[in-house]
Amino acid sequence: MNPLRALVLAFGLGFVVLLFRTPKDPRPAVRYLATGVLVAAAAAVVSPFLWLVAAAFKDRSVLNEHVFFPPLGDWSSATLNLDNFRRLFQGDASLTGKVYFSQYVLNSLCVASLSTVLQVLLCSLAGYAFAKYSFAGKGLLLTFMLGTMMIPGVLLFAPVYDMVVRFGFVDSYAALILPGVVTPYGIFLFRQAILSVPNEMIDAGRIDGASEFSIYLKLVMPLVRPLTAAFCLVCFLGSWNAFFGPSVYLHAQQKLTLPVVLNMYLGVYGSDQGVFLAGTLLAIVPPALLFFALEKEFVSGLATGAVKG
Amino acid sequence: MNKRLVPYLFIAPYLALTVVFTIYPLLNAAVLAFYQTNGPASRTFVGIDNFRFLLGDPSFHRALTNTTVFTAASVVLVLPLAMGLAVLLHGRKGRARGFLRLLLFSPNLVGGIFVGILFAVLFTPRYGLMNRALHALFGWGLEERFLGNPALVMPAIVVTALWVSVGFNMIYFLAALQGVDKTLEEAARIDGANRLQVFRYVTLPSMRHVVGFVLVTTVISSFQLFELPLALLASTDGKGPDNSGLTLITYLYDVGFNTGDLGLGSAIGWIVAALIFGVSMIQLKLSGLAREQA
Amino acid sequence: MSRFFSIEDFPYGKAPFWLLALALVSTLSVIVTQSSSAASRPELVLATFAPNHRESYQGVARRFEREHGVRVTVELVHSRALETRLGNALLAGTDVPDLAEIGAGAIAYFTRGPLSDVALHDLTDRIEREGIRKRLVESRLSLWSSRGRVFALPHDVHPVGLVYRADLVEELGIDVSRIETWDDFVALGPKVVRDLDGDGIVDRYLIDLPMGAAWGVQVLLLQRGVSLFDERGNVAFDQPETVETIAWYLHRIEGKDRVATECGWGQSLMKAMIDGLALFYMAPDWRTHTIMTDVPNAKGKLRVMPLPAWTPGGRRTSTWGGTGLVVTKTTRHPELAWQLAKALYFDGAELGRRFAATGILPPLADAWSLPEFRAPNAFYGGQPVGELFASLARETPPDWATPYKTQAETRLSDVFLRSLEHFRSHGDSGLKDVIRRELRVAREYLETVIGRNVQARH
Repeated sequence: MNPLRALVLAFGLGFVVLLFRTPKDPRPAVRYLATGVLVAAAAAVVSPFLWLVAAAFKDRSVLNEHVFFPPLGDWSSATLNLDNFRRLFQGDASLTGKVYFSQYVLNSLCVASLSTVLQVLLCSLAGYAFAKYSFAGKGLLLTFMLGTMMIPGVLLFAPVYDMVVRFGFVDSYAALILPGVVTPYGIFLFRQAILSVPNEMIDAGRIDGASEFSIYLKLVMPLVRPLTAAFCLVCFLGSWNAFFGPSVYLHAQQKLTLPVVLNMYLGVYGSDQGVFLAGTLLAIVPPALLFFALEKEFVSGLATGAVKG
Repeated sequence: MNKRLVPYLFIAPYLALTVVFTIYPLLNAAVLAFYQTNGPASRTFVGIDNFRFLLGDPSFHRALTNTTVFTAASVVLVLPLAMGLAVLLHGRKGRARGFLRLLLFSPNLVGGIFVGILFAVLFTPRYGLMNRALHALFGWGLEERFLGNPALVMPAIVVTALWVSVGFNMIYFLAALQGVDKTLEEAARIDGANRLQVFRYVTLPSMRHVVGFVLVTTVISSFQLFELPLALLASTDGKGPDNSGLTLITYLYDVGFNTGDLGLGSAIGWIVAALIFGVSMIQLKLSGLAREQA
Repeated sequence: MSRFFSIEDFPYGKAPFWLLALALVSTLSVIVTQSSSAASRPELVLATFAPNHRESYQGVARRFEREHGVRVTVELVHSRALETRLGNALLAGTDVPDLAEIGAGAIAYFTRGPLSDVALHDLTDRIEREGIRKRLVESRLSLWSSRGRVFALPHDVHPVGLVYRADLVEELGIDVSRIETWDDFVALGPKVVRDLDGDGIVDRYLIDLPMGAAWGVQVLLLQRGVSLFDERGNVAFDQPETVETIAWYLHRIEGKDRVATECGWGQSLMKAMIDGLALFYMAPDWRTHTIMTDVPNAKGKLRVMPLPAWTPGGRRTSTWGGTGLVVTKTTRHPELAWQLAKALYFDGAELGRRFAATGILPPLADAWSLPEFRAPNAFYGGQPVGELFASLARETPPDWATPYKTQAETRLSDVFLRSLEHFRSHGDSGLKDVIRRELRVAREYLETVIGRNVQARH
């Protein structure tokens, strides 16, 4: 018997008790079970992060001595401190002077937010076209689009690099944003989302004399806010955590984004894992903030009520 | 404005960018599959030899098996779990919901490389969290080398992928659940349906477009599994012992970039694309999830 | 006053609105904070992937700039990205660094085709003409050669020794100076392997050896002079020594004669060292240095010794990996690039400083007499580690490079694992035949793959 097994057993007992308390009405027991499952799932998912938190604060000398936190008796400023963060913030030399952590954060924010905003605009436009219009070549284009989603990106990397160089985008954010700004993934998502919008509403808008674009903007888009929010999150994260593209395309130190800089600490001949993990811990904050901001969107749903009208 | 032109205008940006960044590279790769390249410079025409070789190549077969197993596991495990969690979470209100949602989604806040590093640590024999937890619950697995035992590598990869993708797909399902018309659900309940029936006959069908999307994209991204095994099995370059972690795309990368034959790599890429296309088409036809009727 | 714009009204939703605001603000900030980079390209661009190299190279670069009146940039790029960038840049024809440091595996990608198509400068004649070749450890050039031509300057030697817990070894009454061969070493097994706390799990092993992959076998094979490929690119691991070594290895990691366990990498390796899970660890020169930074609490407890030999008087070291410097053919200043390459890799005094900072032994023999190499290392109890590795350096075996190396390594791992399976279920009986058979299968597969290369390699 160990703590984990005892916990599971205690939980099971609680469920059985609830079940027997109101035998005709299983609802409290089910709710208890549901809560339990959710909490267990959340705990299972979050516990690996313990390692991250511990490693970010551990002093380099004890980083490898204890897998997670040092035993309580050993907690002191020699074993747990902000040293990793200090080294993270001390700045890197470059041709144009010292570059600090804040610059990398700014760069990542810029690329991620620009990329997301553009993707939302362009993918939703195209998705709307595919969902609510019929035009020559639509079926073919849709199949083609779906098909291109299945091409492994690794394969296309060399020719895309070639194009980017030809256009002179190397070492610029255009190289990071442009190739991925309109993706079949995004178009497909918005198409599926907009398919649920009733056609009557769109027709009503046309009868009222609204332009096609304003129907899209003012009538349709508000109805798919939850999925737009989900898509925003996905795009932002994809760009925020992107490593391979930026590390190949960006040259100047001051243009680098967070993942590129952080991975530098994992060298082949000797890594500074503590600093890497401290940086990773900090890098979680902006996406988490975005997540909270989007929470309201998930709730709003069909708040406009237009569907019923 | 001529109404007929409008759809074309809306998809114009997509078309323009695709021609440049997808079609040209695609044609390039298409042609390349019939060549053999030697590093950056030279190439020779070999006809269908690349495909003939792959047909009989045990490494390719292994990669195919591994990737198919992974995809099947993804669909069968991830989607129901994500849906289940979404439903459970949907019924809660307020603070608790937001907080739990963040927690369940949190693995997606970090990059793929970190996930690989993290789980390589978690699967460490003797000290790793996974090993210790399994030992505490089931009395097995403390010394087990999950990343060193060919039979356990794929399950380890699946668990790692699960950690990330369940929360991810849960978000989509949650958003879709928000969009379900509550009046329909209430009507069904008034008509005497229990919760399971309401879910099966009213809620799920209303969500089918998003479910279809999630299904197809899960299959596509599972077939293209690349970064995760590379980070997790870094010591064997992503292949794992006895190629047990080799996926179609890591094989493509190894052949194309480590060995230098981009021609063979392109051939693999095309086979992968054809496979995914075939599977997705079957999926979509069978479930009718891509049909346009609302 | 017209209608007040409310955020709620933003059609896409509130969060997209904030993202839009963020995008505008951050783009403006970026434009302001990122001052325009130098308008023209510096004369020489060097790309490297090791942060500790970059600092040292910056110093050399600054001196070079003053001496030659040109501008030099040292870029730090993640190793995988560097190789991709180099490969793609060469394909596209622009944006190529003049010099680049690449890892041992990567060179093969560039030297795969006909010699005339190799996009790197052939340095063979230069190193001969300028008398550099005879000052280098010859075996290191194997990593960077193709068909007898050298395409990169070697950065290191990477001799492999054994790091061991001297305090625990002493406690057990073991005298390491008496260990000359692997047989002597293995004989220590019964004294060392023990379950110290009685919980049924062995807590102390003799040596750290990987159990699920063949790279441990590879290091030992190299020690015996068996490389995956030979000079001409033919498969060379199908040898009687390989069969012996694999059989020997299997006995060490499983069964009644087991003396080894796998301690992994990074955190788990360092923890194992602290806990004494294994007493001996194979260590190339650079690892002795990373141990100093990663396990500071082991100060004074560790020492370094040469590998035991396979036969009395035999080779007592091996090698593992390496880094090299290439000069790309697209450079507009080939002479200047070559001068810089020499300054970076063969500039005497700097090499001493570099060794003190990284623990990596350079392949230039005259540098080894510098004081930094002879200095006692306090972490290793005052042992002059540099001297030890320098004494082993000339013995390091060659390790021939080909594009098929990763595939060969996978195949060797297959052989290893299948042999391990057989050993587990059938023990010693028929083991060597199984190994022989698997080696043959692996060799035949590789020969098929290599044979497909339409442009003959030799």
